[in-house]
Amino acid sequence: MREIKVVTNILQTNDEITAKNKSILDEKGIYVVNLMSSPGSGKTSLLERIIAKLRNDINIAVIEGDIYTIKDAERIEAQGVPVVQINTGGACHLDGEMIKGAINALPLDNVDLLVIENVGNLVCPAEFEIGEDIKICVLSTTEGNDKPLKYPLMFEKSGAVILNKLDLIEFTNFDKEEFYRDIKALNANMDTFETSCVKNQGIDEICSWLVSKIQNKKIKVK
Amino acid sequence: MHEVSIIQNVVEIVLEKAIENNFTKVNKVSLKIGELSGVLSEALNFAFKSCIIDTMLKDSILEIEKVKAVAECEDCRQVFPIDHFNKLCPCCNKFCSSIISGYELYVNTIEGE
Repeated sequence: MREIKVVTNILQTNDEITAKNKSILDEKGIYVVNLMSSPGSGKTSLLERIIAKLRNDINIAVIEGDIYTIKDAERIEAQGVPVVQINTGGACHLDGEMIKGAINALPLDNVDLLVIENVGNLVCPAEFEIGEDIKICVLSTTEGNDKPLKYPLMFEKSGAVILNKLDLIEFTNFDKEEFYRDIKALNANMDTFETSCVKNQGIDEICSWLVSKIQNKKIKVK
Repeated sequence: MHEVSIIQNVVEIVLEKAIENNFTKVNKVSLKIGELSGVLSEALNFAFKSCIIDTMLKDSILEIEKVKAVAECEDCRQVFPIDHFNKLCPCCNKFCSSIISGYELYVNTIEGE
């Protein structure tokens, strides 16, 4: 019996494909967002609001991750921006290989912002890099403020957290103070936003923040 | 259940190394998994049992070594243990984003013949 040193990153294959995707997207100066949350917290609704606000100034494209349906892609298509649907057929997260196929189908020369809406899940998507510049996590008030404690990796790796469904907070026992304390303990450097898609609140703040991120990336590429 | 995807990658990596070293049988696979990686050992073990059927890893043992999460303070260079919710430097009380270990996910060694 012999022992062999392997010392190989388990996610090496994904990381290699992702690095290739990222270099294509970087070369074009496209700012890439990996948008994650549990199912039903409002990722697609937020995206609809953001697109409506930014589409005249910024070229946006979207990759929609979903286990089976094309429902979200249809909603984004109705906003008049290019969208590619990825159906994972059961898999709980997107990975580099899936993104590779999707970016080939997008008019990349004409994109400033690419939003990749991951499969609704607070666990697995946190583990897989897909070529993003930033991970943004959405949590809705109705889910409860204990989620960062229960799913720390997701919040720890996110560069920004959006607290959505603020219009419903009065009907819940969501404790904002605890929530911010917990997410800042996980990652003190993250940006935070509060939104209500129904009331169209907080969307302007996210949009101007996104625009500055997009501009910074363009400057870096030049 | 992203542990299944992880184990599928492990099996691929192990098979490649085993063939490279002219193994016909793999007896043991050792992984290093960081404490902060969000990967559950029980789920890895479960996935491993299913994924090694009909491969030369059949009947092999999966050994999982946990790697402690450690950070280094950018200001005072103090190295200290952390967890998800406590990343403050014990000396200067500053939040530390320079994490040295804790996110590891790799195949460390294999044993075979």
